[in-house]
Formats: sequence, structure tokens, C-alpha cells
Amino acid sequence: MRFFSDTRHLWILLVLIAAVGGGFLAVRGRMVPESFGQHGPYRAEALTEIASQPSVFQADSVCHECHQDVQEERAESLHKAVRCTHCHGLGREHVVRARKAAESPGFAIDPAAEWDGSFLTDIDLFTTHDRKTCLVCHEAVVGMPEDFRKINVAEHLEEMEASEPTSREACFECHGGHDTAP
Amino acid sequence: MTQKRDDTGCNNTNCMCDDATTRRRFLQHVTTITLGAMSLTVLPGASADGELPGDQEDSPGESKERPIFGFLVDTEKCIGSGKCLTACRVENNVPDGYHRTWVERYVHFKDGTVQVDLVPETGYSGSGLPSIDSDDVDRAYFVPKLCNQCEDAPCNQVCPVHASFTSPEGVELIDTERCIGCAYCVQACPYGTRFINPETGTADKCTWCYHRIMRDEQPACVEACPVGARVFGRLDDPESEISKRIAAIPTQVLKAHLGTHPKTRYVRISDEVT
Repeated sequence: MRFFSDTRHLWILLVLIAAVGGGFLAVRGRMVPESFGQHGPYRAEALTEIASQPSVFQADSVCHECHQDVQEERAESLHKAVRCTHCHGLGREHVVRARKAAESPGFAIDPAAEWDGSFLTDIDLFTTHDRKTCLVCHEAVVGMPEDFRKINVAEHLEEMEASEPTSREACFECHGGHDTAP
Repeated sequence: MTQKRDDTGCNNTNCMCDDATTRRRFLQHVTTITLGAMSLTVLPGASADGELPGDQEDSPGESKERPIFGFLVDTEKCIGSGKCLTACRVENNVPDGYHRTWVERYVHFKDGTVQVDLVPETGYSGSGLPSIDSDDVDRAYFVPKLCNQCEDAPCNQVCPVHASFTSPEGVELIDTERCIGCAYCVQACPYGTRFINPETGTADKCTWCYHRIMRDEQPACVEACPVGARVFGRLDDPESEISKRIAAIPTQVLKAHLGTHPKTRYVRISDEVT
């Protein structure tokens, strides 16, 4: 047939297509991650990578593993939703040390430090009776819900007929921390 | 001289009719093959892209295993203590000056003006911010903000390298391995939840603490909230707190008119909140 009489230009075309196509597939194979497209148009491995990050912020249940007495004390308190970490620090090292101590008796757990007064503190574990800890939530600020217990310090002291000036620990002279009564 | 028109369409007696015939047939063949090949690609099951989402939706066993998460923000409960901000910062190692979640305060004054300010991480008490006289204020409330986890997320659509994507659980995530830090998504997000993390050079935003929720923990901000202003849970479980609350009370989404269909819902917010 005359149609196929001169096939040289067709062969050139075929070789060109094969070269360009092969090159494209080779580059694509290198550029597209292996797990791409497994669940959708993204790298599926990223899911497990993100999910494997450690949890940092501790739930109260971690603290309650050892401090059951505090758990009971707070169970019926208005403060039961206030997290341990809010007044005692993140306690990450403390938990690591406490778990180690549970395995090997005699391993000392560092006692809690005194709070340095900063809410952005680096102190791992602290105790505080500073009224700032209370007022960060309870000081009356415009915008708070109606039914939230708001304190205007000056008015409250007047109400209580307290003598000024008050100490840093003033709140705890009348109120509990774990159990807020009254 | 008579002109003959044959079935090849050749009307020139001087031309080489054989050549014209083969050109016409060649074009016919090419058209047939091209159209045939194109029709193959639209047949069901032939497209590689179409297979995966179809697989997930069609197999009920798989969709049951995969939770669908939801987030509810109750502005009527938030007290602006900033505890969620600290929790988020330590959990996700958020650099100073950047926020994955933040809390705004809306103050509607009696003179008709509205002031919006940002709750400091250490709360208003002792922050040195000017206090507002409650007598001048009609109403005021706090609005926690975070990623809205849109179903039709504009941030995903603009990502040139598919680094921004929706997980099978419906959580918008960022693949930091692939992200090139072009910040296109930062501009695309209508809620301003994204930023370029100066430490990694990649886009960053709230993931509802994907790493925590996948091991049945609560997101850090939810865990930290002392008043229950943030509720997180499974929407596919009708017994979960969030499902019950969304069923029982009216909830809205932010900027609904944009059609992004956010999965972060808000309890009874005013129109001013965007």
C-alpha cells in the first residue's frame, strides 16, 4: 500500500513520542510520593506522620492516677472543671518522674516549686496561693456571662468588711482552692 | 474538459487522486481512533482519580470505622481566661506572636459602636489593658476562633502542591513535607486562621489537634477550657454531647454566605461576628 510506502517519518514520530512520554513518566515517578492518591489527592503518609505527634497538654485524669484525694475533693466542687494544670503548671517532667518513681522505689520526685507569678512560666510544677491565680478567671471583665461568678476586688472586700491592704493570699483566707466553698 | 467529482471529494482532474484519497482516509482514521480513545476515559471505572473517593463512600464498613468530627463553640459560656491559648501553644509548639486559636471580645457600646479586641493569653486581669465601664456597654461577649474545617475549603483548592488536604475524618491538614510556604492558602482562608510558621517556613493552622483526637483524646483547647465553651466530639455518634447539643439548640457557622460549609459551629452568635 502506498500509505505505508514511506514510513520513516512515522518512526521518527513514534520515537519522539516514546522519548517524551517515557521521560514524563520517569520524572513523574520520581516527583510523586509513593502514597499519593491512596485516600485522595494528597500524600497519605502525612496522616500517620501528623497523628504520631506526642500529646503534650495533660488531662486531669493523668494527675488523678496518683492524686485521688484531690480528685475526690474536687468531685462535687464548682471548680471541678478547672484543670490541674491551670494552677499547678504543665507538670510534664513531674509525670515522667512520678512514673519512674512508681517503677523504681527510692527515686525522688521533685517537690513543687513556688509560683513565680507568670502565667507563661517555665516552672514545670508549682503550688500557689496567689490571688492572681483566682483573678485571672474571676476578676470582673466586660464580656463575661451573666451567671459566671465575677469579682470586683474593691467591692468584694467592702462587702466582706475586710481591712485593706490585703495580702497576696487573701482569697484563700476565706475560700478553698480545690473545693471552693463558700 | 469535464470535471469529475468522485467520492474522495477530489474535483481536480490534474491532482493525484490517490494522495487525496489517502489523506482523507488518514484523517478519518485519526478521528475515529481519537474519539474512541476519549470515550474510553469517560467510561465508569476507567478513571484512576474516580476510584478512590467512590471506594470510600460505597463501602459502609469503612465509613463506620472513620469518625466524623465536629466542634461547637459556645460564646455564652466563654469567660476570656485565655487558658485555651496556653494549652494550644504548648501542645502545638506555636511560635510567639502567632495563633492557631485565639479569642476575640466583642463589645457593643451604647453609642452604637462595636469594639473587637483580642483576649491576652494571660487573661485581662493584670494585663494592663484599659478597663471598660460596664455602664457604657449594651452587651459584650467572647468569641473563640479556630480553624473552621470547611467542607469546601478554599485553602485546599489553591494549594499548588497538594500539601493542604482534607483527612478522611474531615479534618483539614497540612503536609509540611510538601508545603513550599507560598502562603497562597493563607490568603485564601476567609477566616484568617492560617499563618506561615517562621520556624518551619510552612503553612500552619489549627488541626483540631489531629494527633490527640485520633487517639480518643480531646483537643488541647477543649481539655483546657474551664467553662465548657468549647465542645468537641463525633458527629456520627448521635449519643455524643456535641450531636445532642447541635440537635437541641440553634447553631450557626461563620460567613455562611461564602459557601465554605464550616464544621466549626457557634452557639447563637450575632451577625457582627465574622
